[in-house]
Amino acid sequence: MNAARNRLHYAYYPGCSLHASAKEYDISTKGLFGALKIGLKEVPGWFCCGATPAHNVDELLSLSLCAKNLALAEEEKGDLAVACAACFSRLKTAQHELGANDIKRKQVEKAIDGPFPHGKKVKHLLQILAEDYGLEGLGAAVKKPLAGLKVACYYGCLLTRPPGVPQIDDAEAPTIMERVIETTGAETVSWSHRLECCGANFTLSRPGVVLKLTGEILASAQAAGADCIIVGCPLCQGNLDIRQKEIEEARGTRFEMPVFYITQLLGLAAGLSKRALGLDSMVVSPEPLLKRKGLL
Amino acid sequence: MKNPKHTKMVLSRETMHLGFVKKVEVLSGSSVRSCFQCGKCSAGCPMRSFMEHPPNRIVRLLQMGQYERVLAGRSIWYCASCETCSTRCPNKIDLAAIMDALRKIAWDAKGPSKESYVQLANRLFIENIRTYGRQYEMRLAAVFNVKSGQFLKDLMLGPKLFSKGKLRMFQAKNRNIAEIEKIFSRIEQMRQKGEAS
Repeated sequence: MNAARNRLHYAYYPGCSLHASAKEYDISTKGLFGALKIGLKEVPGWFCCGATPAHNVDELLSLSLCAKNLALAEEEKGDLAVACAACFSRLKTAQHELGANDIKRKQVEKAIDGPFPHGKKVKHLLQILAEDYGLEGLGAAVKKPLAGLKVACYYGCLLTRPPGVPQIDDAEAPTIMERVIETTGAETVSWSHRLECCGANFTLSRPGVVLKLTGEILASAQAAGADCIIVGCPLCQGNLDIRQKEIEEARGTRFEMPVFYITQLLGLAAGLSKRALGLDSMVVSPEPLLKRKGLL
Repeated sequence: MKNPKHTKMVLSRETMHLGFVKKVEVLSGSSVRSCFQCGKCSAGCPMRSFMEHPPNRIVRLLQMGQYERVLAGRSIWYCASCETCSTRCPNKIDLAAIMDALRKIAWDAKGPSKESYVQLANRLFIENIRTYGRQYEMRLAAVFNVKSGQFLKDLMLGPKLFSKGKLRMFQAKNRNIAEIEKIFSRIEQMRQKGEAS
């Protein structure tokens, strides 16, 4: 293993969901990074980025909350590792907007009573795995190849859009998730709905919206022959997994489609235990599938 | 009597309400006027079937001075902020940012809207940040149900999520809660003084 890879260390912004409904994302991220010997230290006292509701009605508040969190992240060494696609999108948007717009930056600096920190690089976990750690290293870390597992990589909205902001991959034809998961020997499927929106936070206000959108996503993954879906966002996972039974009832079909966080499948391939991957927290149990494939 | 549907629409400098268009353009940082109605935004919009006006028509209504219909309708609240429209616009119009600007204008004016649930959810979410610093999903869902009068909504999900350890019963206040409160109050003061919109 090369020396640079051994020195990787990141400040970690998990986001609110990872401490509650998406705790298996937090558990498996820490497990995977531990197995790969990547340092990860949570930003002390981080708070909510404001997510969609804040930017929906109050851009200045949204930018200020993100700017203050970026200032807190300065206290921890390394680039900022973000797990949630929505937090990632908000933090990147704040850097993008405040880097380009002096009027907004001055307002935000007044609101947070301090300078806006420019220096911190914000990276989604996928970027850290694909670019900093590298695909070769990921491949070398595989102890239990996921051969025979057909995976639908689901990006959702905010990992890649809008162009020029997240800068993680092409906005409309990304391949980063496929490249990362293929290092485990898993097979990826080609499918239509990988960049469609799951309805995200409408899960609280208008769950009917979510049922329609996620139903189409699950049907598309199933039609492409996928055994499971992988995601890098707690909102996507929650909507596809927690509501899957309701979706099945609404559509009169069966999916039984486990929805993994990317860190869970990578961790499984790296030989981590069921407990270290938080598999028990998934609502649609992955056990029948993994046993059938001889992976558990 | 004349059928009002057949009344001729008069377009003039006054009826175009250019002032409103310019306000949206300043808030969003995006042009409204350069839209030529190709419809690509609406073709890719996952939420259009829930909207009375699809995204391209929202822009057209703004261009025609019909902004009151936009602000009072439900379409702006049914935008999921998925950024598909902004990604695909051939004229580089940032429609997602325009939607943010329209919601802010409607929100600040507290005007009539056909969509109250989304606004209630937004309000509770933002209040949670001010009170706790982080989101407290169970409280958010419970308060939403009480305030929207849907006591039984997602009731069956509760025990399931609890058994999976996905619901936190108690949440400590964030250590930066005083700093968060200051951010909220400084923004309020800036707005009172007219230093921010």
